[in-house]
Amino acid sequence: MKSLAIACKDLTHSFRSTFAIIFMFGVPLMVTGLFYLMFGSLSVDKSEFNLPPTKVVIVNLDAGDPQAGQLGQILMAALQSEDFASLMEISLAPDSASARRLVDTQQAGVALIIPADFSTAFTDSQSATQLELYSDPTLTIGPGIVRSIINQFTDQFSGIKITVALALQQAETGQIEYAQIETIVADYLVASQTSADPQSLIETVIPTAAPQQNFMLTLIGPIMAGMLVFYAFYTGVNTAMTILKEREEGTLSRLFTTPTSQTEILGGKWMAVGLTVLVQVVTLLLVSRLIFQIDWGHLPVITLVALAIVCSASASGIFLCSWLKNTRQGGIVFGGVLTVTGMVGMMDVFTGNPGDPRFGFWPLITPQGWAARGLLAAMNGGSITQILPYVLGLIAISILFFIIGVLRFQKRFA
Amino acid sequence: MQPALHVHNLHKTFRNGHHLKAVDGVSFDVFPGEIFSLLGPNGAGKTTTISMLSALLSPDLPPDGASEITIGGHSLQHEPRSAKALLGVVPQDIALYEDLSARENLIFWGKMYGLRGAALFQRVDEVLELIGLTVRAKERIGKYSGGMKRRVNIGAALLHRPKVIYMDEPTVGIDPQSRRSILDGIIALKQQGMTVLYTTHYMEEAQELSDRMAIMDQGKLIASGTHAELIQLVGQKARLILTVNVPTDRLLPDWQAVPGVFSVVAAGDLLTLLVDDTNRVLPQLFEVAAVHSARITSIDIQEPDLESVFLHLTGRALRDA
Repeated sequence: MKSLAIACKDLTHSFRSTFAIIFMFGVPLMVTGLFYLMFGSLSVDKSEFNLPPTKVVIVNLDAGDPQAGQLGQILMAALQSEDFASLMEISLAPDSASARRLVDTQQAGVALIIPADFSTAFTDSQSATQLELYSDPTLTIGPGIVRSIINQFTDQFSGIKITVALALQQAETGQIEYAQIETIVADYLVASQTSADPQSLIETVIPTAAPQQNFMLTLIGPIMAGMLVFYAFYTGVNTAMTILKEREEGTLSRLFTTPTSQTEILGGKWMAVGLTVLVQVVTLLLVSRLIFQIDWGHLPVITLVALAIVCSASASGIFLCSWLKNTRQGGIVFGGVLTVTGMVGMMDVFTGNPGDPRFGFWPLITPQGWAARGLLAAMNGGSITQILPYVLGLIAISILFFIIGVLRFQKRFA
Repeated sequence: MQPALHVHNLHKTFRNGHHLKAVDGVSFDVFPGEIFSLLGPNGAGKTTTISMLSALLSPDLPPDGASEITIGGHSLQHEPRSAKALLGVVPQDIALYEDLSARENLIFWGKMYGLRGAALFQRVDEVLELIGLTVRAKERIGKYSGGMKRRVNIGAALLHRPKVIYMDEPTVGIDPQSRRSILDGIIALKQQGMTVLYTTHYMEEAQELSDRMAIMDQGKLIASGTHAELIQLVGQKARLILTVNVPTDRLLPDWQAVPGVFSVVAAGDLLTLLVDDTNRVLPQLFEVAAVHSARITSIDIQEPDLESVFLHLTGRALRDA
């Protein structure tokens, strides 16, 4: 009971400290958040990219042709079809001057003027005509798309015209029968319509959910895992250092004057270290899941890994603090030992290559390396069998560090 | 009568670089309901003694037999839990959790003394009332003045109604009003039947509070008894505190040779003399001063007190030792 009272007092102390709260929860989430904003937002923008339809005003001056019919009408109808509704917003103008005026006043992006001889030029193989595309010079993408679509149609018309002219020439020289001309043109039309499928003009690729999940898994997830491990070990040391702080402030000596055994006092302190790291790890796992949608893997697997991390971070804190004479030396541990071991343990994570075999065995010479790899294995959907080596490694480190740390403290306070 | 606190043959030597004999064969008894003061200058060994009596330091094995500490008949070495349950310790420095409120601190320390449930909360309320902090009980200790912290520091040692309470210089560094309040509180504890072991280097406090006292110097208990018994050690000797207009070392050897002067101690500009008859000695002191072309610029005549006792026993002034 007394150990629990000591642990509760230490927890109250930890969670009343603004510095500790920022350090335990704020910093790891903030660093991951920065990466999320830097890289995550680009990914999200891609999936939500939308080009507004270009306003196109059409003036159809085509007078038609007895043989070819109303090709201007056909072109207009094609452009007004549903297939292009997402790309163009079509309106009609009575004459070319009013159409240009609409473009000049930026009420339309593009004006398409179909000349009066558009159909006639189709039947006369010797003559040519021009479609006029009058566009707002401040726009680039919209007019470009409209030009591509119209080019597609004019190419089709030109193709038919060339096909008919060529077939007539061959019939005149006896290479084919006149009766075959109709079949040839029909075949060409089928072929050209197939290749001119409006859907193939612009291929809009919208990233699906899968690449987004992959981005979280490959970048943000490992960064959050790294932050979690890094700061869990900091918290382990920081909380274990309260025993040195209490010694300096005289409260530990006072505790020893009460009818409370040394085992109860030190047991309460170790309990506080473990509980503080546990609260931190669980909170970071849950909050990062909510904020960054990080999938930490199967619940039993991540639970096992998280508990192993809590044990190893707590034991490491007790172990490291058992070598310190006072809290002033804590700066060396914070700035030096934990940073170096953290960087070595997670060199693959921090270089953006989590699990890269090129780093070999080196990350595993530190407990942070075992912890990070265990978390990554869980995130990648690993089973209990797959994460068991990391969990057992962490437990072994925890037992070793805990025994050494406790023996050193007990010797010191004997 | 069985002593509430029995201390026998305590020794402690610190061996960090050099041998420092901090406590050298200290023995004394404190009886139930008594205030017993350990009086001595800084470095005399009072705090080391208290640390051993609180089980914070283990006494060295003495060369001439065994050391022994019993509290209420329980050996601190062999029955630490039972002995500590009868003991309350007020450390010299504030030993509280600054980020907890006074009430939270008292609840925590009450639990450490084995109090639980309704009894704990009732006792915490009583102690808060006793130290006059009921109104501000929910404020964090860090916001308190030095005097208020001292009161909570004492309150934390009273929660379990100890039979014996140690107070290690509890009035150091606080304002006169808080000091008065603490001294009154200690007298009230005695009236409730509590046994108090009090350490101080203020002889006025020891004189006012104590039923008996012991004087420590350089790790040894050099005298003990009631105030009257200690004063008798110096007989009727009075203290003369003089200032002169020349360096004190010019007069010191000749004044020591004056009949009726027992000791002369120079400290800065002050010369402190222990004399048996001021009326007879003073004219001779003026004559010696005149021979050295010196003038006595001030004289303070003090009747025998604990300061005189310390001077008599050690040849040094208590305040400057």
